[in-house]
Amino acid sequence: QAVLIPDAVDVEAPEYLATDLLLLLYMEPDPRCSSCFSAALPVHGRYHRPAEDSEEVLVVLKSPEVLACCCDNRLRTECWKPAEVEAPCSGTVDSPCRWYSVTHKPTYEELILHIPVGLRQHSSLVCALTLLTTVLCSSLILAALCKHGQFS
Amino acid sequence: MSGERSALGAALGAALLARLGLVLYGVYQDGAMRVRYTDVDYRVFTDAARLVAEGRSPYRRATYRYTPLLAWLLTPNVYLAEAFGKLLFVVGDLAAAVIAYQALRQRGAGARQACGCCATAWLLNPLPMAVSSRGNAEALVALLVLATLYFVEVGSIGKAAACYGLAVHVKIYPLTYALPVALHLQSRRCSREGAINAGCDRKARPTFAGYLWQLCVKMLNCDTLFFGAVAGSVLAALTIVFYHLYGWEFLEHAYLYHLTRRDIRHNFSPYFYMLYLTAESKWSFFLGLAAFLPQLLLLLVASVVFYRDLVFCCFLHTAIFVSFNKVCTSQYFVWYICLLPLVMPNVKMSWRRGLLLLFLWFVGQGLWLAPAYFLEFRGYNTFLLVWLAGLFFLFINSFILSQIISHYQKEVRVAKDLKQQ
Repeated sequence: QAVLIPDAVDVEAPEYLATDLLLLLYMEPDPRCSSCFSAALPVHGRYHRPAEDSEEVLVVLKSPEVLACCCDNRLRTECWKPAEVEAPCSGTVDSPCRWYSVTHKPTYEELILHIPVGLRQHSSLVCALTLLTTVLCSSLILAALCKHGQFS
Repeated sequence: MSGERSALGAALGAALLARLGLVLYGVYQDGAMRVRYTDVDYRVFTDAARLVAEGRSPYRRATYRYTPLLAWLLTPNVYLAEAFGKLLFVVGDLAAAVIAYQALRQRGAGARQACGCCATAWLLNPLPMAVSSRGNAEALVALLVLATLYFVEVGSIGKAAACYGLAVHVKIYPLTYALPVALHLQSRRCSREGAINAGCDRKARPTFAGYLWQLCVKMLNCDTLFFGAVAGSVLAALTIVFYHLYGWEFLEHAYLYHLTRRDIRHNFSPYFYMLYLTAESKWSFFLGLAAFLPQLLLLLVASVVFYRDLVFCCFLHTAIFVSFNKVCTSQYFVWYICLLPLVMPNVKMSWRRGLLLLFLWFVGQGLWLAPAYFLEFRGYNTFLLVWLAGLFFLFINSFILSQIISHYQKEVRVAKDLKQQ
């Protein structure tokens, strides 16, 4: 289960127009090992601004923050501290629970996404050739229309 | 007579089985594989239908940019089964084929030829099959457009206008048909009343401008005004009702978004890379305008040149509109493929030429899809290749259109059809 804050996201906006969002992912206990939790998250990069000279933009995916809930009967030393985060208990946004940050070591290095971007130096060539092609193609159709059209 | 019905029935049955098979496969793929078969739009429709079922505005759902009627129609997705909408679109497909068949018979095509055209171009065509089974609502617009053209053929101007108003409300693109319809209705009136009416005077016109002026004057006749009034009333009534229900959001998402839409993400349009690179530059507005001009010019000339055959004119209109548009996705192809069965009897070209053009069309798409896959799913920088493929696809579409125009003949040869049977 996942909760997005805010829940209305403009999925089509390019990166420079997109607003930050917070994703709460509720992890399930992994059946294959006790005291393990697992979740899988697909990531899709947004369009970035065209770059001046590099063909790609690097986006660093930092490790997520891991929170533990003090909503069951198991006592942990962290639960005695004041609450750090108030977030929904599970998928429903109704009842808040108290969550505590768990210190952890990421087993992998930081993930870096290589997102391809357009090159600004292509602008003039692209504009010129695109407009030229559209003029040629429209002339092709115009010629056919005028030659075979019904003017009577 | 029963033979014709059974041929059409067989084609409809085969089409229904194929589409149901794809819907079932879609259910399997959605559950089993990471890449879903169902289109994202269907998820949007269902969420909007859920909101409507709860009594809220469908526009609370982000990216819902359609008529509220669609969310209302799909409320059984929430109450019955999520696949209801897809089944509705499949039924829409088949209904569109039946109307196309009736329209073809009205235009003088033989039963077998009409059935063959509907079967090859629409019923058994994999593209409309995939579009409807993936949950896109294009079949409903196709149905409305075909109904409009059928009613014009039959002479029921009021019914045609009502269907047209509804079609424009559902999708904006049929608005471009207004000019050909207006020109066509005045030409029918003239041919009905003969040369007696002074307004149909066909003296030699010295200039092209004079010819255009005469057309403008002739457009203001009873049939055209009646069509405009009924279509305008239907559209206005729907707009007012939904504005009253959902407010400014409805106008913004259902209408204005489509008029000002500019998608800088990769799509079949030849302009996408140009618009992406210049999105934030001061030339952005003028380039957008420069992109609009060829489309506008071609649409005007096509209307003036081919309005006598309304179906062919609308086919050309839509094909030109889609090919030269600033945004183009494969769903848009359904907008002109639905008119292909009606146009086929009038386009006299050899099987080989037809197949070659079809092959070229698929090659054009394939050449675009390959680098686009690597861009989107593998992260390679294939922007230049995608852009060049887009230009090439535009060239192929233009070539195919010019071939269709040059092989067009007005009369449907019924005698030839009988000989071929």
